[in-house]
Amino acid sequence: MTEEKSDKTEKSKETTEEAAEEKAEETVEETEQAEKAEEGGEAKAAEEKKAKKSLPKPKAAAKKKPTPRKDEKYLSRNFEIPNAHNLDVYEANGGYRALKKAMKMDGEEIIEEVKKSNLRGRGGAGFPCGIKWSFLPKESDVPKYLVINADEGEPGTFKDRYLMELDPHRHIEGCIIAAWALGIRYCYIFVRGELQFAQRRLNQAIKQAYDAGYLGKNILGQDFDFDIYVHPGAGAYICGEETGLIEGLEGKSGQPRMKPPFPAVVGVFQAPTIVNNVETISSIPFIIENGGQWFADMGIEKNGGPKLYGLSGPVNNPGVYEAPSGITIRELLERYGGGMRDGHELKAFIPGGSSCAVLKPDALDAQMGFETMREAGSSMGTACITFMDTNTCMVRVAARLAHFYHHESCGQCTPCREGSGWAAKVLDSIEAGRGRMEDLDLLLDMCDNIQGNTICALGDSIAIPVRSYLQVFPEEFEDHIKRQSCPYPAWSKRKTSADSDAA
Amino acid sequence: MPKVNINGTEIEVEKGTTILKAAAQAGFEVPHFCYHPALSIPANCRMCLVEVEGARSLEPACYSEVTDGMVVETKSERVIKAQKSVLEFILLNHPVDCPICDQAGECKLQDYYMAYDAQESRLRAEKNQKVKVFPIGPEVLYDGERCILCTRCIRFCEEITGTNELTIVQRGDSAEIRTFPGKELDNPYSVCTADICPVGALTSRDFRFKCRVWLLQSTDSVCTGCSNGCNIHLEHFRNEIQRYRPRYNPQVNDYWMCDAGRLSYKEVHTDRLLRPMSNGAALNWHGVTETASAKLARALDDDAGSFGFVVSPQASCEDLFLAKRFIEEVLGTDQLYLGGKPDGFEDDFLIKADKNPNRQGVKAVFGGLNDFGDVDKLIDDIESGAIKTLYMMETHLPADAETRQRFVDALDKLDLFVLQAQHCAELANQAHLALPACSHAETEGTFVNFDGLAQPFEQAFAPHGDSLPHWQIFMRLARAMGQPLTYTFVHQIRDEMFQASDADENGEPAEAQAE
Repeated sequence: MTEEKSDKTEKSKETTEEAAEEKAEETVEETEQAEKAEEGGEAKAAEEKKAKKSLPKPKAAAKKKPTPRKDEKYLSRNFEIPNAHNLDVYEANGGYRALKKAMKMDGEEIIEEVKKSNLRGRGGAGFPCGIKWSFLPKESDVPKYLVINADEGEPGTFKDRYLMELDPHRHIEGCIIAAWALGIRYCYIFVRGELQFAQRRLNQAIKQAYDAGYLGKNILGQDFDFDIYVHPGAGAYICGEETGLIEGLEGKSGQPRMKPPFPAVVGVFQAPTIVNNVETISSIPFIIENGGQWFADMGIEKNGGPKLYGLSGPVNNPGVYEAPSGITIRELLERYGGGMRDGHELKAFIPGGSSCAVLKPDALDAQMGFETMREAGSSMGTACITFMDTNTCMVRVAARLAHFYHHESCGQCTPCREGSGWAAKVLDSIEAGRGRMEDLDLLLDMCDNIQGNTICALGDSIAIPVRSYLQVFPEEFEDHIKRQSCPYPAWSKRKTSADSDAA
Repeated sequence: MPKVNINGTEIEVEKGTTILKAAAQAGFEVPHFCYHPALSIPANCRMCLVEVEGARSLEPACYSEVTDGMVVETKSERVIKAQKSVLEFILLNHPVDCPICDQAGECKLQDYYMAYDAQESRLRAEKNQKVKVFPIGPEVLYDGERCILCTRCIRFCEEITGTNELTIVQRGDSAEIRTFPGKELDNPYSVCTADICPVGALTSRDFRFKCRVWLLQSTDSVCTGCSNGCNIHLEHFRNEIQRYRPRYNPQVNDYWMCDAGRLSYKEVHTDRLLRPMSNGAALNWHGVTETASAKLARALDDDAGSFGFVVSPQASCEDLFLAKRFIEEVLGTDQLYLGGKPDGFEDDFLIKADKNPNRQGVKAVFGGLNDFGDVDKLIDDIESGAIKTLYMMETHLPADAETRQRFVDALDKLDLFVLQAQHCAELANQAHLALPACSHAETEGTFVNFDGLAQPFEQAFAPHGDSLPHWQIFMRLARAMGQPLTYTFVHQIRDEMFQASDADENGEPAEAQAE
């Protein structure tokens, strides 16, 4: 366990160091900023607010020099502090201060702050968190529940695990604040089964929090009881869908429910339930500490706050980075990811997990916000970007994704159950050189027939990417069909950058 | 009450009505597989998608409730495309083995394909293969390839029987219906799952390969398996019952019936007494009527006080009404006994301990059951010589072997033993005169169920062999004995009977809702 831990810290150190070398100038600012952050204080916040006002659009800011403000770390603040997963270290770095502040506040006040903060659900759908919270009935005969969706299974997405593994107390603090604000009695953290290390870390942190009186009965001497349980998932992607998750939590197979009723009214064990993503809840302490307006200012319209971004694919520095909402993808790629690796030219990217539509490099200047990404023709999703180079066969990618969704379709409703397998079969045949031109129309028609006709969004998750590959790269599909083979070499025969260097 | 506009038809419905029900009220069919009126609504088949003005995506009509001012299109282009696509998806991996499928002819998938799809499959790859002929229970077979995973059967076992045998295993298009480990689909109502299965995935093992359903003729009848009186479709082919299927009646059995009742049709055709017999020799009706009337008249002359009559709770009210008139006006005896099947298994749903369909009918016709002796008293009376002549109507032998033997031995002591029944070839050989009666499938009549509900049943086919309805046998004997009872039709008896009795006719079952 310790090995794993140190590995991880080292890794993240390495990546930051690499980034730091390239952007030495900014790193200086970063350290300055970190010092500032330690001073804390409202004066600083006010000062930054001013700075923010003068730069209304981060896009404009990105074109200029990034403001120091943008490099301050919040969500990932503790990632590099050794042993931040332990309560004493966490408290020494300002932990549980927000909780103490929150417990002097009224529940309504907290909800107002969260509404003001423009905090959007970080799991992919981007529903405004404060509005979701306000749907929870005030009075209830049965205990209300908070369920944390930590079933991070979207292909290409790997941000929540960092929060759970490296900063579990921040998350627990967020849970307690949410419970205090909403009158919630129990919390389940539904962690993806494969993330065993995160489960251990969370359990350890929960135990420490109980011992310190942050959990259990009469928290901080107030008339407030709250318990958190970690529930490991059994490996189904569909349990990342909130009602599928609730079914899984109840011990049934993960089959999403019809809505309405929404979980806020009838959720886990038929009780009112709030389902939030890990990152959403981990953001709450900052909103309490610094105010909703502060959080909203650090972003663009309707998208507030700092956000974790994951970068993967043939980039120089893949990993998880924190940046404000509304940052452009180009900035993420170039400044944080260190650009594409030598010998790899960017061909396409998926902005937020495999169920988003694929985009071409001409969309690199799109801002990472739910509305802005929709304008760009895709969606923000989990904001974990997968970059693909010119060696990548788009038909193979589409086929691979279709296979994933075929494998993960719960099988409850017809279009998704049958359509996912069919799409995979058709895409396979095109990739194998057995495709026909009419298959392309068939696939598009199939996508139309799946999308919107299913119980949950998994059907859309098949249709949207498959359609996007067909529409963004039609020539590649036609090429496959005309040649009756795949023009791209198989993965094993792919030239790597090392090969080209040797040559 | 919300007003809703469906395909241009304005209709006012109860609050909370689903679009599907509102459309049915407005006269529009919305096709559906997974929705069943008696079960919860999972909205998983997506066949019932309709277009609601203002909604982003199509709405499942079975699940969505109407709101005031809602405008619904069930036949728009978008809806038709969705219906076609859902059928295409459902049929994608379906084996289309209709020629060897028992469901063919009453299959919703066949019907909807013809009505809403009727196009060739665009699948060029191989179909998925799943389990075939899987014995999921003692009465039911499962075919995974035909299954459309609508979960009606699972919900039935969860919500109606509460036995929870079934679940879905695997995921996506590998999903199949299975029993939980160590269980099998063996609840007393298991064949109902085959009834509600919209396709041929679950089929009755009893009915398997027996008859194509389009050859069956259906008659509204009542199950005789117990005193619950479940309403059934009695389905027959060439004068033989092929199966019972539950008929919707919310007062009695809803959409369901038990497996034992469903298989009770077999009794109708086994061990039948088909010819009038005298001391084991077959006669015709003319001969036997003469003989019987003469013997009965002599017995009454000799010792009217030792004449016993066993009434059957298996016979219809009309039969019992004539039995009563025959007893009172022709025989004049008051030594009555009540036969019938012994009590059996019961539960708190449909199955009743009293295995006779018309005990309440006996009570209604004879004005109570207090005058009747039971089988033990009958045996005692025969053994003591109090009964020397016995007229027995449709009686089943006692269950335990000892009483049974005593009963059979006692019958030997009788001076005259007249049996009027559809079964019991065993007793028929012992009887001095055996008169063949026909089953409820071969006549019409009324049963009164345990709850006092009088329910008529209709004649399905002509009486087997030389058998006659009980009431006609009584009429023949009465006429031969000079005390004619004159009726031509059952409804004449029924009218007279209802006038005489205080049981009110309440038997017309409500129209079945669309399943």
